[in-house]
Amino acid sequence: MSATAMIVDDESPMRDQLRARLQQVWPDLSIIAEAANGIVAIEQAEELRPDIIFLDIRMPGKNGIEAASILAKQALVVFVTAYDEYAIQAFERGAMDYLLKPVEADRLAGTCQRLQERLQQRQQEKTAPAATNTASDQAKQVEQMLTQLMQQQSQKREYLRWIQASVGTSLRMVSTKEVLFFRSDEKYTLVQTEQAEYLIRKSLKELEDELDPKEFWRIHRSTLVRVSAIAEVTRDFRGRQLIGLKGHAEKLEVSRNHTHLFQQM
Amino acid sequence: MKHRDDNKVLNFIMDVTDTVTVVWWKFFDWLAVVPWSSLLGISLVAMIIGGALGLGGLMPMLVFASIIIKSLAGGKRSAEIAATAAATRADVEALERRLLEAEMAALQAQIEPHFLFNTLALIGQLIETNPAQATVVHQHLIKYLRSAMPQMRDKGNGKLGQQMDMCRAYLNIMQARMQERLTYDIDLPSELEFLPFPSMMIQTLVENSIKHGPEPKTTGGHISITAKKVDDQLLVEVNDNGMGFDLHADDGMGLTNIRERLKVLYSGKAQLVIEAPQTGGAIVGILVPVDTKQ
Repeated sequence: MSATAMIVDDESPMRDQLRARLQQVWPDLSIIAEAANGIVAIEQAEELRPDIIFLDIRMPGKNGIEAASILAKQALVVFVTAYDEYAIQAFERGAMDYLLKPVEADRLAGTCQRLQERLQQRQQEKTAPAATNTASDQAKQVEQMLTQLMQQQSQKREYLRWIQASVGTSLRMVSTKEVLFFRSDEKYTLVQTEQAEYLIRKSLKELEDELDPKEFWRIHRSTLVRVSAIAEVTRDFRGRQLIGLKGHAEKLEVSRNHTHLFQQM
Repeated sequence: MKHRDDNKVLNFIMDVTDTVTVVWWKFFDWLAVVPWSSLLGISLVAMIIGGALGLGGLMPMLVFASIIIKSLAGGKRSAEIAATAAATRADVEALERRLLEAEMAALQAQIEPHFLFNTLALIGQLIETNPAQATVVHQHLIKYLRSAMPQMRDKGNGKLGQQMDMCRAYLNIMQARMQERLTYDIDLPSELEFLPFPSMMIQTLVENSIKHGPEPKTTGGHISITAKKVDDQLLVEVNDNGMGFDLHADDGMGLTNIRERLKVLYSGKAQLVIEAPQTGGAIVGILVPVDTKQ
């Protein structure tokens, strides 16, 4: 049976390998295109309409899973991956086929067999549309699985994780995991880490809105503290709460309207 | 006018109340932990002085109240104080354990399976098409594994030169896979080669650079590694011209591990410095004190 195929992989030796193997096990298959990333793959598939697309998962531009959500609508997609535990788990549950690199001839022959059957089924459907709808069921299953995978990838809420601070002429990136506290200081905001302090223009209010509220607490009109940096809470002789930090000598005052954060711990 | 006076009085009363409360709690805490014998001794002295000053029944009453309070609430309070101390100790222990775990994770999670499998797949392909090149990649892989596998790390591994050799092997493999999409250069002055440097740290930075540099960019990218002496410190920088920073992306286990390990190894005297150059990409540097004894 003759059919057309496209190979998508960012590493050219891998494309060569798959091409050679395919020629061995399915001589009638004509490989009409190769692409090195997801974006090019989508453009070429649109233009050349291959029946089958062999798709690597880790790729620049658009990765294989993102690209597949578009490509699976117009062609049969087979994932090719060296190691991707999540994807493999997902595919094992689903109906779609996947191949492991380096691709073995026997395994590839099985895949090609299934592909041929499915293509035949498609052609029969075209001639007798009412006969069966298993193929469209499969397509639906695949689509569901892909949306699931994409959700898994973009589940985390986006909080600010890096603080940008100018030091001389360079722009320093400070991870929020390093920050002990932020304190507003007239025009600027002071960023204190264990080893250094920086001044940034972002206001405390903006920071409070963008940071993870579970990670940073407002303890004073002018102070945001990283919860995991707190070592102890004490009281001074006037009954004010003071926060002691890990790896930093200075104590931070808790203002009266924030004392409820540390009530009788 | 009258208003302001009111405020002053109010403030004064509030301050006094505050102070009394604090003094009271201090007294309460002291009462809770002081041994009975000392309490009796102090009471006796207080009553004698009170008697001498002619305070009459005040002192005996105070002593009586103290004894009642101590016997009623003292046990509970001293237990609370002991619990706080125990919690502080537990915190310190938890921290130490976390550091140790971070150390272990840093040692164990180094060889990325994705990298290993892809490289082996490449060698398989090259054996068929270009056996000479297969031998070269195979040798790079052996060199890399010799330094990267925890079981294989020998004493000499903690030298800057060896760490750079390992990165070179890794980058050569990545170059064989990504071809023209990856270029790199390493600048290591020969006098720095034998300076001690913690294992696997530059490697982690290089892996990060490839992940954010040449790998996601369709046009590929360049990575440069430089080592230099700055005053009494050794600075190793890994620079890529990649995608730069996503301000909302977690900085990842790799960098967190480096930070924790530096803290343990150099007790605060080493630094991980991350910069976003105007030209794009990222510069990640590790600054460690130079050990002159070596």
